[in-house]
Amino acid sequence: MDAILKTENLVMTYRVGKVDVNALRGVNLLVGRGEFISIMGPSGCGKSTMLHILGGLLKPTSGKVIVDGEDMAGMSDAQRTDTRRRKIGFVFQRFNLFPTLTAEGNLRLAEHIHGNGKKIVEEETRREVLRLLRLENKMRHKPLELSGGEQQRVAIARAIINRPAIILADEPTGNLDSENSEIVLEMLQKLNRELNQTIVMITHNPEAAAVATRTVHMRDGMIVGEK
Amino acid sequence: MDNLVASNIRQRPTRTLLSVAGVALGVVLIVLNTGLVEGMLNDRIRRERGIGAEIQFGRDASLLTASSKNPVDVRYAERLRQIEGVKQVSPYALHVQAGNSGLGIELVEGIEFDSYSEITGIKIVEGRSIQADGEVLIDDYKAYHSKLTVGSEMQVFGNTMKVAGIYSPSAGSRIKVSLSELQKLLAAENKCFSILVKVADPNKQAEVQQRINEALPNNNVILTRELGMSAGREIPGIKGFVRAVMVLSVIVSALVILLAMYTTITERTREIGILKSLGASKGFIIGVIEKEALTISLIGVLVGLVISVLAAWVLERATTLQLEFTWSWILRAGLIGLGAGALGALYPAIRAANKDAVQALSYE
Repeated sequence: MDAILKTENLVMTYRVGKVDVNALRGVNLLVGRGEFISIMGPSGCGKSTMLHILGGLLKPTSGKVIVDGEDMAGMSDAQRTDTRRRKIGFVFQRFNLFPTLTAEGNLRLAEHIHGNGKKIVEEETRREVLRLLRLENKMRHKPLELSGGEQQRVAIARAIINRPAIILADEPTGNLDSENSEIVLEMLQKLNRELNQTIVMITHNPEAAAVATRTVHMRDGMIVGEK
Repeated sequence: MDNLVASNIRQRPTRTLLSVAGVALGVVLIVLNTGLVEGMLNDRIRRERGIGAEIQFGRDASLLTASSKNPVDVRYAERLRQIEGVKQVSPYALHVQAGNSGLGIELVEGIEFDSYSEITGIKIVEGRSIQADGEVLIDDYKAYHSKLTVGSEMQVFGNTMKVAGIYSPSAGSRIKVSLSELQKLLAAENKCFSILVKVADPNKQAEVQQRINEALPNNNVILTRELGMSAGREIPGIKGFVRAVMVLSVIVSALVILLAMYTTITERTREIGILKSLGASKGFIIGVIEKEALTISLIGVLVGLVISVLAAWVLERATTLQLEFTWSWILRAGLIGLGAGALGALYPAIRAANKDAVQALSYE
């Protein structure tokens, strides 16, 4: 398998007061290019911590996180930021769009950051992403003028517009009703199939997990199984 | 990025207005105060240079540093008249009082009209000369700006006096009473502030100055041409005052921007987390916040300049204060406004850039 993401014996220990909390206890995960995997597990099992480490928002206590050939665990904060800018796209449960910007503005901002101020996203790619996510007519709207499902689709567009190596989705349907959840999951599936986009998705919802090609189960900071 | 900056400015109108007002206040402080200093100094220098006398006897300083001390004995006037090359002399007393509008100061001169008029070239353009105590002459500028006409009453030395005439052009102070009356009011009989000396041949003023020094030693004998522009700039405290205004302006502007941006950063913690999740570097985040502060500061500078111009217009019409704006001070005020804005935003910007991304994303 052509691995795009690999963790080796990933450990994350938080210090809370005088107590050490082991959020991850030696996680080994391998994700192939173009795979769509979901990670399931009870609250507090370490899913979100792992996602944040995979995206370079946190530095692990020990272990390796290799994203598209680069080990993020040994990087400085600035280097992890740079890798995140080039290789990672985040989708959050609460959409996390800039409320003062239109959908177009949110996308342009992501493009601006990705390109370091230069325009590097081709118009064709842009049109393709907007078509896949059915957002062509929503670009002039601000987030508050959009439904939850539409906001999440804009957030997905923002994550994918720069064609990152991996999309990390943190409970992307957690704030949506079942109808919009279905639409968003269908979109993620489409992106995975049509653009061969690698996606790692955290979810509590077994139905959401079912759209992925593989589901990894976590408990107490460890991977306890997969199917 | 520009879009983000512009939308943030529009989205928080109260914060933006307060910040703009803070920067504008700093700019107004600088521009108005330096405009006042420049205007008053230049006006005094122009009038002082137009006095017509080549030599001033007995003055130990420029009119710009005038006080109500009148140390010179008027009897020197007679002795000066006898010196070769002296054409005319005119002693005058001086009194400094608060401006009638409550702003600034006004100088009142006590003169002997005939000799003073002969030296300075002032002419009565309305009314007549002073004929009795309780009468004043004012120049046409004062008459226009203070809306005074012949017969109007005004306060001089705490006394109500009547305008007997209006003269032109301006020379020396704008308000003149008779020398004898001012001496009485100041309890300084036979004393004056200085004696104006008109020489017969202006090309020989230095020789006349030397003759006066020889005939009346131990007095200050100054050529009027030497009371130049630099004298005004040397007024004690002026530089310190302008510097204090500048420092105050920087502090006010920087503090307002700091508080505004600090509050904004706290409100926007989650947005900073989003920027970080998108891969924005610390430099990018600092840049966004600094750009926002600079945009607000630029608006504040422009608003401050407009307010300064309007305030100067009102002041010049409501009082006899004169303001002169120079490009150098306008530029300095603008740079100080922008610099203070950038400085004030720096700490909140660095704080934002150093925020923990995960904590910022979970900020409620």
